[in-house]
Amino acid sequence: MRIPVVIDTDPGLDDALALMVAFASEELDIKLISTVAGNQTVEKTTRNAAKILELGKQDIKLVKGASKPLMREPVYADDVHGDSGIGSVNLKEPNYPISLNAYKEIYDVAVQNKGELEIIALGPLTNIANTILLYPDLKDYVKRIVLMGGGYAFGNTTPAAEFNIYADAEAAKVVFESDIPLVMVGLDATHEAYVLEEEIDGLFTGENKTISTLKQLMMDLVDVSKRFKFGNAHMHDLLAVVATYKPEVVEGDYHRVDIETRGKVTYGKTVVDKYHVSQKSRNVYVTWHTDRAAFLNLLRDKFGYFNQECFNE
Amino acid sequence: MKKPVIIDCDPGHDDAIALLLAFASPKLDIKAVTVTGGNQTLEKTLRNTKRVLSFAGIKTRVAKGADKPMMRELEIAPQVHGESGLDGPYLPEADFEEEDMPAVELMRQIIMESDQKVTLIPTGPLTNVGILFSLYPEVKENIEMVSLMGGAAIGGNWTAAAEFNILVDPEAAHIVFESGVPIVMAGLDVTHKALIYDEEAELFRNQGGKVSVMVAELLDFFFQFHQVGGYEGSPVHDPCAVAYVIDPDMFESKKYAVEIETDGEFSTGATVVDWFGRSGKEPNVEVLFDIDRTKFINMLLDATASYE
Repeated sequence: MRIPVVIDTDPGLDDALALMVAFASEELDIKLISTVAGNQTVEKTTRNAAKILELGKQDIKLVKGASKPLMREPVYADDVHGDSGIGSVNLKEPNYPISLNAYKEIYDVAVQNKGELEIIALGPLTNIANTILLYPDLKDYVKRIVLMGGGYAFGNTTPAAEFNIYADAEAAKVVFESDIPLVMVGLDATHEAYVLEEEIDGLFTGENKTISTLKQLMMDLVDVSKRFKFGNAHMHDLLAVVATYKPEVVEGDYHRVDIETRGKVTYGKTVVDKYHVSQKSRNVYVTWHTDRAAFLNLLRDKFGYFNQECFNE
Repeated sequence: MKKPVIIDCDPGHDDAIALLLAFASPKLDIKAVTVTGGNQTLEKTLRNTKRVLSFAGIKTRVAKGADKPMMRELEIAPQVHGESGLDGPYLPEADFEEEDMPAVELMRQIIMESDQKVTLIPTGPLTNVGILFSLYPEVKENIEMVSLMGGAAIGGNWTAAAEFNILVDPEAAHIVFESGVPIVMAGLDVTHKALIYDEEAELFRNQGGKVSVMVAELLDFFFQFHQVGGYEGSPVHDPCAVAYVIDPDMFESKKYAVEIETDGEFSTGATVVDWFGRSGKEPNVEVLFDIDRTKFINMLLDATASYE
């Protein structure tokens, strides 16, 4: 059975690739895509989502979400994702219908799917937190949230915090304390989900404009990794998407995770109680490692989808 | 030439072993031992310091330091170190008295009068060193380095994000880490690799002398706590900070910018390591990550045997 999902996203270079992988995954039944301010302003992330939906020839409802975090001014990652939010990629201006009222849309989809819905959260958790705050019974309808965010051993925006959590730690706190089952695909695992520059071509078969765009998005991520001294180009959001339906791609276990919202140097840290010193209940499945070979094979397989005739134009 | 050293400690099983290691080394000239509250209350850690030194026949100056952290109440670790702070071996009362002078005054005097730059080895909460640097910033000029046991680049042991010594007095740690003095951090990353397995306590016992047997008994007690916690052996934290000063080549390390969290809800006391240079701060701490365990244990065995 296909997994009914909402994808909440802020494209974003890796978000854009992750959406394309999701479109190509018959394991997922994408009910809704919601956008949030994060890598760029919500205007830009929404426009980018629309562009990617058109690039992927999709007909999925797109809804524009929160323009700013719960309690703070927005922080963007334009230093990583560029002014447009999708790097150097030039896609035509979209003509895609955009709905408003994200929280109601997310809630309604959850109710309609009677407890089977999974949320794949690829940006700051503002929309998800707002939906939880507006509809406290959301937890009865959401099977789990698979989120890209956080990390145990390190951060990437600050030494202690990963961007998505740092951008709205208060929202993350609401989500992590919501009692909805959580899978945290954080930096520990995503830093093992890298693609080397020389591996990019091998992930694709055939040539067309869509495939060129995908390659260019990956090349942009390679450039980012060089600029930021992160080592390799990490496919953060792509890993969260595939981990949703192929859990063996990541290795993890359950821990207590709390969100730091008050720290001076640790604001936005996902505090993972790896050795269970707090004795608090374990609320998150924390991923530690990626089976990179399996991950790359899966990407290669899914990207084959874009080799179809209809993507030639 | 011997390195002039001041040890600041809160014995504590591993502190006691750290003291024995330091005083046995021909490379170190231990000018004084100062004491802080930490693993147990100050009264107990002071008593323990004096009893260990006295038992091993070590003559040195001992001074009493802070009885509580700079801005917080003292948190102690009786579940690890017992009611006395040094449960296990029988140790008679000491045959000497501590100095009249407070620890910080003694530290200042020694540092200011030393021809050579002095190395500080704190193995407890950093309260005394924090107060020293605040009250007498001029001492920093004449300090070679602070080789401390505390913190962790990854994780914690007392909370999910913090190691005990830093957690107990994060404000003092902040002062020390921001001081500009070269800092070596023997945190959990390395000390959890500096394990002594239960059966290795026998290596000490078999050496036969009373100090070696005492160390074996310390290790026996120390292991009880760690065994329950699922450790394969006891992480012998504090001697790592001493071993680095004696033989830095035993360690693998890298220099990073490290900041102390003093205000977190869940991360107070975290030593935040800037792996990717995101903070824009100059690296200020040599972070230890690995140790040659065989060399380390042989060093401890030789040190304890030297007292007989």
